[in-house]
Amino acid sequence: MGFAMTNNWLEKNTFHYSAFSDLNRLVEEKQKKNLKISLCLPTLNEEKTIAKEIIILKSELMTRYPLIDELIVIDSGSTDNTVKIAGAFGADVYIANEILPHLEQFKGKGENLWKALYITQGDIIVYIDADIKNIHHRFAYGLIGPLLLDDQIKYTKAFYDRPISIGKNKIRPTGGGRVTELVIRPLFSLFFPELTQIIQPLSGEYAGFREIFDKIPFPIGYGVETSMILDIYEKWGLDVIAQVDLDRRIHRNQDTKALGRMSFAILKTFLNRQKRSGLIDLKEALFDEIIQYNLVENAYQPVAQKIKGLERPPMITIPEYCEKFDVSN
Amino acid sequence: MNEFLKILPNLVEDIKAAQDIIITNIVLIGQTPAPTFKEKRRSTIFMERLAEFGVDEVTTDGYRNPIGIIRGTAPDKPPIFVVSHLDTFFDRDIVHNFTISENRITGPGILDNSLGVGVMVSLPILFKKLNLRFESDIVLAGTIQSIGKGNLRGVRHLLKTWPTPIRAGVCLEGVELGRLNYFSDGMIRGEIQCNVTETKGTFYQFTPNAILVLNEVINEIMNLRLSQRPRSRIVIGKIAGGADYGKMAYSADLGFEIRSDSYKMVKSIYNKFRDIVEGISHENEVELSIKTISNLKAARLKFNHPLVKNAAAVLETLGIKPISKSTESALSIFLSHKIPTVTLGITYGENSYTDKATMEIEPMFKGIAQIIGVLKAIDSGVCDDE
Repeated sequence: MGFAMTNNWLEKNTFHYSAFSDLNRLVEEKQKKNLKISLCLPTLNEEKTIAKEIIILKSELMTRYPLIDELIVIDSGSTDNTVKIAGAFGADVYIANEILPHLEQFKGKGENLWKALYITQGDIIVYIDADIKNIHHRFAYGLIGPLLLDDQIKYTKAFYDRPISIGKNKIRPTGGGRVTELVIRPLFSLFFPELTQIIQPLSGEYAGFREIFDKIPFPIGYGVETSMILDIYEKWGLDVIAQVDLDRRIHRNQDTKALGRMSFAILKTFLNRQKRSGLIDLKEALFDEIIQYNLVENAYQPVAQKIKGLERPPMITIPEYCEKFDVSN
Repeated sequence: MNEFLKILPNLVEDIKAAQDIIITNIVLIGQTPAPTFKEKRRSTIFMERLAEFGVDEVTTDGYRNPIGIIRGTAPDKPPIFVVSHLDTFFDRDIVHNFTISENRITGPGILDNSLGVGVMVSLPILFKKLNLRFESDIVLAGTIQSIGKGNLRGVRHLLKTWPTPIRAGVCLEGVELGRLNYFSDGMIRGEIQCNVTETKGTFYQFTPNAILVLNEVINEIMNLRLSQRPRSRIVIGKIAGGADYGKMAYSADLGFEIRSDSYKMVKSIYNKFRDIVEGISHENEVELSIKTISNLKAARLKFNHPLVKNAAAVLETLGIKPISKSTESALSIFLSHKIPTVTLGITYGENSYTDKATMEIEPMFKGIAQIIGVLKAIDSGVCDDE
């Protein structure tokens, strides 16, 4: 069975950040539409990069151009100086466990993103990973641009030319995206060929309207990016999604085993979603441990790690949220 | 001017209030590699930032030095120059990502001289925030091709071709806060190269070894008697040669610098070097050559020059102890054009020439206040009668 790409989404909804570099125009549009924009940086031990992200984003998009109304850091319990440094450079810092404290506590990026919905005030929320070494304000305004200038677009996703840092001092010009090419794209090709047009579904930077984010569930850990795309696609269709080329992003390179754990979480999220929507039928429940092997003194030793694939329900189902934002489920 | 000195210490906190913008400029400029002769990308960012900050004119001169001009209120007054060299010692393929901690920024080239350039680019927005106007035009120039083989070509061209008189200049260097340079020694930097062909010479039984030949050159140089007055100095700064432990070295290079209060003395010592090279080349039947990489003429302001006195007063008002020594930089080109000029350092730092070069953030705000103080002193006319 083959799939013909019928619509021209890739052409129509793919942008380059430079199309939005007129920041005065974006500010004007934001004010005209009476919107507030919040920027959230989820952190866990990011002392090496967090200050730079805060300073540059704040300088360019708050002090010089009032495009962003608040910049918050939500921390998962860093043991380094992340929280201290972020506060010193003027971000509003929150500890994830202290937000909605009566709920069961989880640790993960998705948890921080979900709780950001409760903490932030903005109509548009921009999520940017805190480990970007070559941070530039284009990472934020590139994602905000289509949301302000095109009324149909409700969610924007970054993609990059992805050099990764290798060794101490050298950059490899291309690389990264292994989980995308080995896991996500084959899965999308099998189930949702239309979604293969999203060049980097796992990129950690995205932005969207609150009214979208508060109606979808958030997996606690790695699965959050995949799940977000699947849910938005299912509820509102591909045309509300746009992708923006943000040029280069330099970040930490992860080893294959870490990518294996990431793939496990993504596969689990994906299969559970498919099961729930009736697209596939699983005779038995999936296991929740990834088993990897180490060679120790000529013997293979298994190392199992639980990845439960927990997720938070849509924020709009949380009464405190509904009360705070005066919305109802 | 005295009135301005009184309010100067209060500016430090106002400057600090703009730290996000200042640090952003340092980082965005510093993270763009700019090895000597390949400064184009950094030059583009330099101009983009100045244009974004509403600088009246942003352009390049005929040598592609990027320049921003902040128009003054008195068109008849000659311009004041602020310069900072764009190029750094680090190649393009070195990762230039800076790390910021609570009070420090680390990254290759930050002290020499991304910090200087980043601060210079921040001046227009600081002038606006502090509501400062100048009678003179302020010309902000990021000079290219400064270090090593660049031999200060950018600043030489800029000053040689600038169409009007120049009131005075301020050169910015990253470190150290407190430096107040107003004189530069005469200087020649050069290389001596030895190449040995594999065919045997007739004088020696064995093929000469290039490293040993250079060793002989060094010995002869060390035998030179240097004068106490004019004060002179020789630095053997670099040496490289050979291929492997057990292999005869067929080539070797030596890098040196000769400095003196008097350029005539520098040239005289250089001529002695040349005699040594010719003699050893002849005796060993090897190819031995000497060439100049860069040179500077000695130039100075007097210690009691009003610019030096006023700059020292600015530093002292801010609680900074002025330290003066010779510098081999754009300063000497300004002084050789008879333009009163000083070089100022902006903050404290360490590991200048490694990829761990680190600057301290907090002292930088005083460093910027001193630049503004010195510019205000010049603008008030302290150098005009000299």
